[in-house]
Amino acid sequence: MQKRKSYIFFILPGFLIYTVFMIIPLFSAIYYSLFSWAGIGPKIFIGFGNFKKIFFDPQISPVFKNALRNNFVYMSIAVFIFIPIQVLLAYLIDKQIIGHRFFKLIIFLPFVISSTIVGFFSLLVFDPNIGFLNTFLDAVGLTYLTSSWFGDPGKAFYLLVGVIGWQGIGVGMVIILANMKSIPEEVIEASIIDGAGEWIRFWRVMLPFLKPSLINVIILSSIYALTQFDLPYIIGGPTGGINGVMDFMNLFFYRYAFGDAYFGQTAIGFGASISVVTFSIILIIAIVQNILLKNILHRD
Amino acid sequence: MGLKRKQTIAHWIATIILTLYCLIAIFLIGNLILSSFKTKTDLVYNTFGFPKIFTLDNYRKVFLEDGFIRYFYNSIIITSLSIISLLFVSSMTAYGIARYKFRYKSVVEMYFLLGLMFPIQIAILPIFIILRSLHLINTYWGMILLYTANMPFPVFIFSQFFRDLPTALHESAIMDGAGEFRIFRQIMMPLSKPVIFTVALISFVQIWNDFYLPLVFLSRKTVRTVTLGIYHYLSNFLAYWNYVFAAASAALIPIIIVFFIFSDQIIAGLVTGSLKE
Repeated sequence: MQKRKSYIFFILPGFLIYTVFMIIPLFSAIYYSLFSWAGIGPKIFIGFGNFKKIFFDPQISPVFKNALRNNFVYMSIAVFIFIPIQVLLAYLIDKQIIGHRFFKLIIFLPFVISSTIVGFFSLLVFDPNIGFLNTFLDAVGLTYLTSSWFGDPGKAFYLLVGVIGWQGIGVGMVIILANMKSIPEEVIEASIIDGAGEWIRFWRVMLPFLKPSLINVIILSSIYALTQFDLPYIIGGPTGGINGVMDFMNLFFYRYAFGDAYFGQTAIGFGASISVVTFSIILIIAIVQNILLKNILHRD
Repeated sequence: MGLKRKQTIAHWIATIILTLYCLIAIFLIGNLILSSFKTKTDLVYNTFGFPKIFTLDNYRKVFLEDGFIRYFYNSIIITSLSIISLLFVSSMTAYGIARYKFRYKSVVEMYFLLGLMFPIQIAILPIFIILRSLHLINTYWGMILLYTANMPFPVFIFSQFFRDLPTALHESAIMDGAGEFRIFRQIMMPLSKPVIFTVALISFVQIWNDFYLPLVFLSRKTVRTVTLGIYHYLSNFLAYWNYVFAAASAALIPIIIVFFIFSDQIIAGLVTGSLKE
C-alpha cells in the first residue's frame, strides 16, 4: 500500500464525473420534489404538495397505487418463484446433468438480447392474429386455448412478468451457480457418507453455504423489480396497457417527467417527487432485507 | 467426481424440460434471422420455413432508405467511445482507491458503491436538467458522459483486481525511479488486460442494448441508436414487420457472436464480487 498523495489524481476524474452526473442528481431530486415546476419558467415552492398529490389526489393516487402494487407483485414473483427456479437451475447445472453446458449458455443468452428485440419476440409469439402461439394452437386443434394474450387484462401482467423473467433469469442462476461451485467438495462427500438423501443434503448442507449469493440475488432482483421500465414500456406502451395492468412506478414517473403529450407540459417537480418515493422504497426494502436475511440465514 | 455425473430419472426429466425451454430461444433467434431474408409474401405463407427466395431487399430498405446505417453509426460511436472513456476513468479511480492508503478510504469506497444500489433511472430528471443546461441533450458527448458516470460496477471489478496485486511490483518500480503515472500505465495496465477485457465486454452488452437513456436523451432522428430505431418500427409494427426482422437481426448478430465466443468471461465478470458478504 502506498501512502503518497498521488491517489488524489487517480481518483479525482472519476470522482468528479460520478459526483456531478450520478450522486448530485440522485439527491437533488429531493430538492426539485418540493417545487411546482414545468422545467422552464418560474419554480414555485410548495413543500410537500407534490407528495400529497401522489398519495391523496383522487385522480393520481389510484394510478400510483396500481403501479406500486404491480411493482410489489412482480417483486414477490421474482423473490418467491424466480429465485427458487434459479437455485434449481443452478443445482441441476452444478450436478452436471446431460446438456448442462448448453443449458447454462442458452438460459443466460436472452440477457444479452436488447429489450426492444425481446419486445419484438413477444409480439411475434403473442400477437392475437399473426402470433406463433395462436397459429400453433389452431394448427394442433386447441383453438379453444387461443387468446388475445397481451390484449387480455387478466393475462397481460403475468405474461409480461414471464417475458421479463425469460430475459433475466440467467443472471441470478450464474451467481448462485458460482457460489455452489465454491462449496468444498469434502463437505458434500461427508454428507453422502453420512447417508443423507439428496433433499436433506440440499437443505441442510448446501443451502447454508449459498447465503452470500442468495442475499445478493434477492436484493438485486428486488431493486430490479422496483425500477422495471423497458419491457413494460415496449410491450404495454407508456400508459401501461389496458386499465394500467402493465403499469409500473417508472412508467408512471416517465409520463409526468418526459411524457408532455399527456398533460400538455412536463412536470419536473412532480416527476421528481415520484422518483423520491421510489428511492425511499428501495432504501427501506434494501435495509429491511439486509437485516432479515442476515438473521434468518444465520440460524443454520 | 463420478458421483456427480450419475444421470438419474429425475435428471433425465430435467434434461428434457430444459431442452424444450432452450429451444424457445434458439427458435426465436433462428426464425428472426431466417425471416430477415424473406420477402413479405414469403413471410406470410411460409412463416417458419427456410426462405423460398433469398432476398437482401429488407436489409437494403432498412439500411439505405430508413436510415439504419446512421443509427448503426450512432450506436457504434456512442458504444465504443463510452467504453474507452469508462475503462480509462474507472480503472484509474479503482487504482487510486485500491492501491493507496488514505484517510476516509472506506468512505470513498462506500461512496462509489452507492450507485450499485440506486439505478441511474432514479436520478434521470436532475441529470436531464444538468445536460440541458450544458446543451448536451441529443449529443454523443452527453451519452458518453452518462455511461462513464455510471461507473460503480467497473470501479468495483477493477478494485477487486488491483487489491490482489503484490505490492512488491510497485516498490521495485519506485526504486527504478518510475513516476506514479508511469507505473500505472506501463506496469499495472498491461497486467490488467484480462479485467479490462471483461469490463469492456460487459459494458459493450449493456451500452449497445440500452434503451432507457437513448429514449430520454436522444429524441432527434440524427442521433438515434439502433435499439431506438427498432422501437420506432415496433410502434408501427404491421406496416414495417418484414423490415423489423432485418433491423433486429443486424442489431442482434454482433451481440450473439461476442456472446458465444466470450460467454465465460461475460458470466465470470458479472459474478465477480457477488459472493462477498
